[in-house]
Amino acid sequence: MSNKSKQVPTVAYSESAIRNNLSITEYCRTSMAALSGCTAGLLGLTSLHGALFYIMAVTTLWLMILYKAGFATWNKYFISRKSLLTSGIFGQLFTYILCWTFSYGMVHVY
Amino acid sequence: MSADLIVDTQIRVWVFLPIVVITFLVGIIRHYVSILLSSQKKVETQQFQDSQLILRSRLLRENAKYIPKAAFLSRRQVFNREEDGYLTQQRPAVTSSMMTDPSMMTDMVKGNLTNVLPMIVVGGWINWMFSGFITTKVPFPLTLRFKSMLQRGIELNHLDASWVSSASWYFLNVFGLRSIYALVLGENNAADQSRQMQDQMSGAAMAMPPDPKVAFKAEWEALEIVDHQWALADIESKLIGEEKVKTE
Amino acid sequence: MGAQKSDVEQLRYWRENNDRKSREVLDIWLNGLWLKVNSLGNEKFLVLEQVCLAALDCHIPNVAETCIESLSQSFPSSLRVRKLHAMYFEAKEDFGTATDILNSIIKADETNSAARKRKVAVLKAQGRTVDAIKELTDYLKIFMADVEAWQELAELYISEQDFSKAAFCVEELILHNPHNHLLHQRYADIKYTIGGLENLETARSYYSQALKINPKNMRALYGLYLTSSALSTSAKCSSQRKKEAAKLVEWSLKEIKKRYSEANLMVTALAALEI
Repeated sequence: MSNKSKQVPTVAYSESAIRNNLSITEYCRTSMAALSGCTAGLLGLTSLHGALFYIMAVTTLWLMILYKAGFATWNKYFISRKSLLTSGIFGQLFTYILCWTFSYGMVHVY
Repeated sequence: MSADLIVDTQIRVWVFLPIVVITFLVGIIRHYVSILLSSQKKVETQQFQDSQLILRSRLLRENAKYIPKAAFLSRRQVFNREEDGYLTQQRPAVTSSMMTDPSMMTDMVKGNLTNVLPMIVVGGWINWMFSGFITTKVPFPLTLRFKSMLQRGIELNHLDASWVSSASWYFLNVFGLRSIYALVLGENNAADQSRQMQDQMSGAAMAMPPDPKVAFKAEWEALEIVDHQWALADIESKLIGEEKVKTE
Repeated sequence: MGAQKSDVEQLRYWRENNDRKSREVLDIWLNGLWLKVNSLGNEKFLVLEQVCLAALDCHIPNVAETCIESLSQSFPSSLRVRKLHAMYFEAKEDFGTATDILNSIIKADETNSAARKRKVAVLKAQGRTVDAIKELTDYLKIFMADVEAWQELAELYISEQDFSKAAFCVEELILHNPHNHLLHQRYADIKYTIGGLENLETARSYYSQALKINPKNMRALYGLYLTSSALSTSAKCSSQRKKEAAKLVEWSLKEIKKRYSEANLMVTALAALEI
């Protein structure tokens, strides 16, 4: 082991701030899933179109959050952009499917 | 795209909506019942001490590089000393079998009661009451394999697999409403089953697993292999070096 | 009505941010909040506790007594209210009764950390620092991860001038909060006070670390200057190290002058530093 350790800039993260930010994005994501599910059902989208719509909604939300955080200063609020995009996907997927089926059923089946 | 089947509107009013409402309300009731039932967990002093010990040892491992080497070594010694270090203390062998520990037993029973039981009971009731007809169509195509699972009680061979029965609609509700509970009830709500199961696996810092020896052994090993690299070894030159760059 | 709402909000804000603000809280209370307290709903008890602590701080015992009475009416066997009761006796300097109440709380609930810490506070108020230290170390044997307690113990050791043990406590604090520049500077202060070549070097490193984390820390800058100059004139130092130390002396002096000139203060006082 050489004496000179690699100078890794140690960034101090504030735990509570990170947790707060993540819970807020979780809230946004759930609302988005519910709303986009209802929209998809109303529009009568099926299978592939529905899946694409979900992906589009997730990406749009990601872009909006980044816009709010500032494209240059996002790392003041979040640790990684990628995890912001991909982290809640499967959890919200069920909510999306639920709302989608619900509104689809309400409007098109009956 | 209009449906290829005409479905009775009565189904919508008396089946479709009620299932959603029932699922949602059962979840909320579950949340409040678990709050009422959760007994004041009286933590034993010894258990508390152990959990604090583990916490302290973890912090020592993570932030060792900020304290001088001598300080770190003396602390490691205190923790890992052969006979009377904190982590090598002889604990009376705690029987980790779940049946003999009464408090664990009641916790488990309560946990099962509030989570799994309502799901099974309500699911079964719905299955019994609303059987024999289709409830809704899911908007995406499913293969024939799912037909037997999702269309309990309906014996039509050529019915599209997208038409599902009420039981499967109920289960879809259960899974879908999980995130909405987070919105409505705030974080840490008891209606969120999956997170509870995750918690059980990861183990919180406050409640010790019934066998502290295992945790201690793990910490002891982790502490032994820490290699202390003092972060402040040549900090003066870094400080001046940085400053020189800035002022020029 | 509008004034009342913003008062309650202000109290809540101070409560959540752990702001003591005893004088202001008491002013709000005496200006009319005490008449309207029953209309506050669930927040009433939190407000009562906050006002009670403020009254004890400003030494207005009758306000404290009324608060404690209303709280104990609503929560007759609460340990939290009993702790307030003990604090009331402590403020009246009736230390015997206070200690008795605290002991009964501890017996009722072994893991109650607040009562044990109050016992230490009582001993400290009586001036029995050695007993306070002993009590606190016993507490820390159980509650090892309590940062406040380690901080208090460090202060007690410093007041008893037992610097090596104080250094141990501050190391513990650094482990909990490694990015707090004040802790590093504190540690360096203690090491510098103990003295000795190695400790001086350690102190110098920690002052530098404190500066790195927060370049505006003047104490650390002065500390750096003092330790480096002590090192550069010390007999036991190798000449290479002396050269390094001299470089640091120059640099820190330059920085000090820069800071003072930025703050537009009289620079003549600094002439005394020029050796």
